[in-house]
Amino acid sequence: MTGASGAGKRDAVPKTAGGETAGGLLERPLPTGYLEEWARHFAEGASEGAAEEEGDARAALLFRIGDEWLALPTDHLHEVAQPRRTHSLPHRRDELVLGIVNVRGELLVCVSLAALLGISAAGAVEAGERSRAGPRLVVIGRDGHRVAFPVDEVHGVHRYVARDVVTLPATIGKAVSSYAVELISWNGRAIGRLDDALILETLDRSMS
Amino acid sequence: MLFLMFHIGRDRFVLDAEQVERVLPLMEAKSLPGAPPEVVGIINYRGAPTPLIDLSLLALGRPSERVMSTRIILARYLGRGEGHERLALCAERVIKTIQRDPADFVATGVEAGSPAHLGPVASDADGFIQWIRVEALLADEVRDILFQRAGEPA
Repeated sequence: MTGASGAGKRDAVPKTAGGETAGGLLERPLPTGYLEEWARHFAEGASEGAAEEEGDARAALLFRIGDEWLALPTDHLHEVAQPRRTHSLPHRRDELVLGIVNVRGELLVCVSLAALLGISAAGAVEAGERSRAGPRLVVIGRDGHRVAFPVDEVHGVHRYVARDVVTLPATIGKAVSSYAVELISWNGRAIGRLDDALILETLDRSMS
Repeated sequence: MLFLMFHIGRDRFVLDAEQVERVLPLMEAKSLPGAPPEVVGIINYRGAPTPLIDLSLLALGRPSERVMSTRIILARYLGRGEGHERLALCAERVIKTIQRDPADFVATGVEAGSPAHLGPVASDADGFIQWIRVEALLADEVRDILFQRAGEPA
């Protein structure tokens, strides 16, 4: 990448409205071979596994709560934010609702996914490579109805195809399994993919 | 409702994110001599030839600038046939999405004189944002040329 020339070019770019300061980096000219390389990349995809990827590519946010790695489809994912103070609600002492958080001016109910799924917070933590980034607050929602929940670590959005999916064995007895619909293999681990619609429904019901 | 924003010249436009399958980096397109002028060529997306429309060329008569933020929006194009066809749209500064209530968009009042794909507008602190309707982007004749394989054999 032409980092140096990109930085020099930034001054020449007119200031964009709306404080898009990072926009300057994107206004640099294309490196040589860029167009050809991408044309080749997307043309090649035809041969290996593209058929699967086309109709079936799915994306899920991978995160860790306690020692459990989980995946949540991105359909209802709104944002991943820095953790912030939870204001507890008086007369609301259940495990599930932790309190209220302020996410960019919007007050959201903060719930404990750990409590919902029955994950113990302690345990020998096998932390991923992003554990140093620390805990995060994940905001999900549907129809303008948003909730937040804290997680110990977010890996990021993982794209996977049908081939990476294993259906859940029926014998699993943990609470996680009632919300997990399938397992995704990732880095040699099997990660439970949560049913986001079911989780949102359950939270809606338990909060009303 | 989520919208994908892009620029044509200095103005901002949005597409319904539901219609966007993927945003691709700018890539070399095979030119189609004799094709309608708004079709700059075809790109090979995973083996599927996809017509590429340059929105800057369509609206302003000049091709999109060749910079990193000029990208290709792979849109679902609901043609006449079954299923969906894809249309690749090249536009400038495809760098963000916005959340807007569809009710914020109001008619411009000059629909009669403007192309069918220009939809209603919404305003914010920086001015107006216009909704582009992918389904109305191509004139009927152009659509028939590009997608006739979906219906009857050529």
